[in-house]
Amino acid sequence: MVLRSPAPPLIQGQRLSRVYALGAARVPALREVDLSIQRADFVVLCGPSGSGKTTLINLLGLLDRPDHGTLLVGGREVAGLDENARSDLRRDRFGFVFQTFSLVPVLSAAENVELPMTLRKLARPARRERARSLLARVGLQGKDAVRPDLLSGGERQRVAVARALASDPEVVFADEPTANLDSRGAGEILDLMRELNAERQVAFVVATHDPRVVERARRVILIEDGRIVRET
Amino acid sequence: MSLLAFAFRNVARNRRRSLLTGGVVAFGFAAFALAGGFMAQSLEGLREGTIRNGIGHLQIARAEEFRGGGDATLEHGLTRVPEIERILRADAEVVEVLPRIEFVGLVSNGNRSVPFLGSGVHPTRETRTMDLPRVLAAGRWLEGREERGVVLGAGLAAALSVGADDTVTLLATTADGTLNAVDAHVTGLADIPIRELSERFLATSIGLADELLSASGRVSRVVVVLGSVSDSRAAGERLDARLRQAGFELEVRTWEDLAVFYRQVRLLYLGIFGFLGAVLVAVVLLATANTMTMAVAERTREVGILRALGTRPRRILGMFLAEGAWLGALGCAAGALLSLLLTAILNRSGIELPAPPGATHGMLLHVRVYVAAYASGALAMLATLLLASFLPARRASRMTIVEALAHV
Repeated sequence: MVLRSPAPPLIQGQRLSRVYALGAARVPALREVDLSIQRADFVVLCGPSGSGKTTLINLLGLLDRPDHGTLLVGGREVAGLDENARSDLRRDRFGFVFQTFSLVPVLSAAENVELPMTLRKLARPARRERARSLLARVGLQGKDAVRPDLLSGGERQRVAVARALASDPEVVFADEPTANLDSRGAGEILDLMRELNAERQVAFVVATHDPRVVERARRVILIEDGRIVRET
Repeated sequence: MSLLAFAFRNVARNRRRSLLTGGVVAFGFAAFALAGGFMAQSLEGLREGTIRNGIGHLQIARAEEFRGGGDATLEHGLTRVPEIERILRADAEVVEVLPRIEFVGLVSNGNRSVPFLGSGVHPTRETRTMDLPRVLAAGRWLEGREERGVVLGAGLAAALSVGADDTVTLLATTADGTLNAVDAHVTGLADIPIRELSERFLATSIGLADELLSASGRVSRVVVVLGSVSDSRAAGERLDARLRQAGFELEVRTWEDLAVFYRQVRLLYLGIFGFLGAVLVAVVLLATANTMTMAVAERTREVGILRALGTRPRRILGMFLAEGAWLGALGCAAGALLSLLLTAILNRSGIELPAPPGATHGMLLHVRVYVAAYASGALAMLATLLLASFLPARRASRMTIVEALAHV
């Protein structure tokens, strides 16, 4: 019998802390948080506004650096990486869906989806084909050439989800992805994310205080005052 | 999508602002191109005038003659002139050789005597290569190397109250120090644009000058006209070597060495052009820096998103620099068209510029399409736009992603 060591978590944060300076005051946004993200996880970070959800997503997604604590991505410590290396890690391993206005206005829906692939220097025909296929998968077939300002809020978020999946990431971070959508649009986006999570084995980390999202989650982490107070 | 294509779309995104900024660049470029074209035209005119009004491309004389200050007329004059001419004419670049006797004296109408700066010339050779015989205010140019005639500067003729066909007497000191006088008829009046020279200018045949000065075949210097102005120095060095090889210890000077006025004007023009250029660059820099700063401020959140998706900071920097380059390039293209249009209008306008200090008449405004001015204008505008874009672009590339994403 061959014994294999278990694969390391996709992301592992240990005692992560982040303090923001507001004038002379120092406001702790996150206090010694431990968290691991496994392959195909669907994790919801919930809690009231200002509890530290976005700060935690920013740290896990390498958009920000912790003041204290250790962060491992694929088992590798990332504290010593420079901005270019962090950019490359985000480009290759992560996808992002933001609250609103996250599409580049001068690019069409397809070009927005192509953007991460352009950064990876994928050949144009392959980019085009994958963007078309992803847009079709999120229900936007035939909208490839449409500019973001001509799409509804829900459609824009679908484009953002397609873009987040463009570079075949391991983890997609979504920060309040339903905050500006009506209940129907929000439900559709959530269903889409769950389907993609199951279908592609992509981990999703969603920060929200939307109860509809929490209802659909397998793993819910409640954050208050910068601390994880409950995980179910 | 390539960086340049992406940048172009961003430039086109805010059309009104881009048009205004492009307009500033276009006017800056046009100012460069027009000022440069006017300067080039003026300098070329002055250069050709300097060469064709008497200096020629090269002058050959004894070093002492160039330094001046001799005690007697033709003290440092050239002998064996036919031999020198033969050596010079053997060079393929040499178009004409003009022996000259330079001298001073008094010219008299019988009642009044006025000092002059005289030049004994070979009339037919001068006619072939110099402008002076063609720009007479009255009368005709000299006809033969022995003609007993003079051409006076219009100012000198006015001072003496003489005109074409009148007779004057020339008085000068001969080579051996005695005073000599000859009569000569005035064949024509020269239109000399510089007032001081017009009041002193006198040209006569080399034969009459030789007789007046008892020169015995000696000349002050030999002027050489070349086929092209561009290789004067090289031709000068070549001819100098050939003359030395033949045993002549002479000095060869180019028109640039001799044309002090041209050099001064050129320096003045370059100074004015440089100052105007600096002012233009400063104005364009301020206007475009404001545009680029606004572009970065408006798109802070977009920069955050691009960075989050994995765009490296250097690419963000490149993105905004490329936008600046597009604005510069489009502005320069519009500026080039504007310059061509204004050049055509100005050249057809018939505007006469006032006479410069020391000159007797003005000149028509003419602007040349000077490729170097267009190129330097384009380079200056592009460099200005890149400079104006750099600081905002660097700020964008150094923004923290979290701050950029939080920007409203």
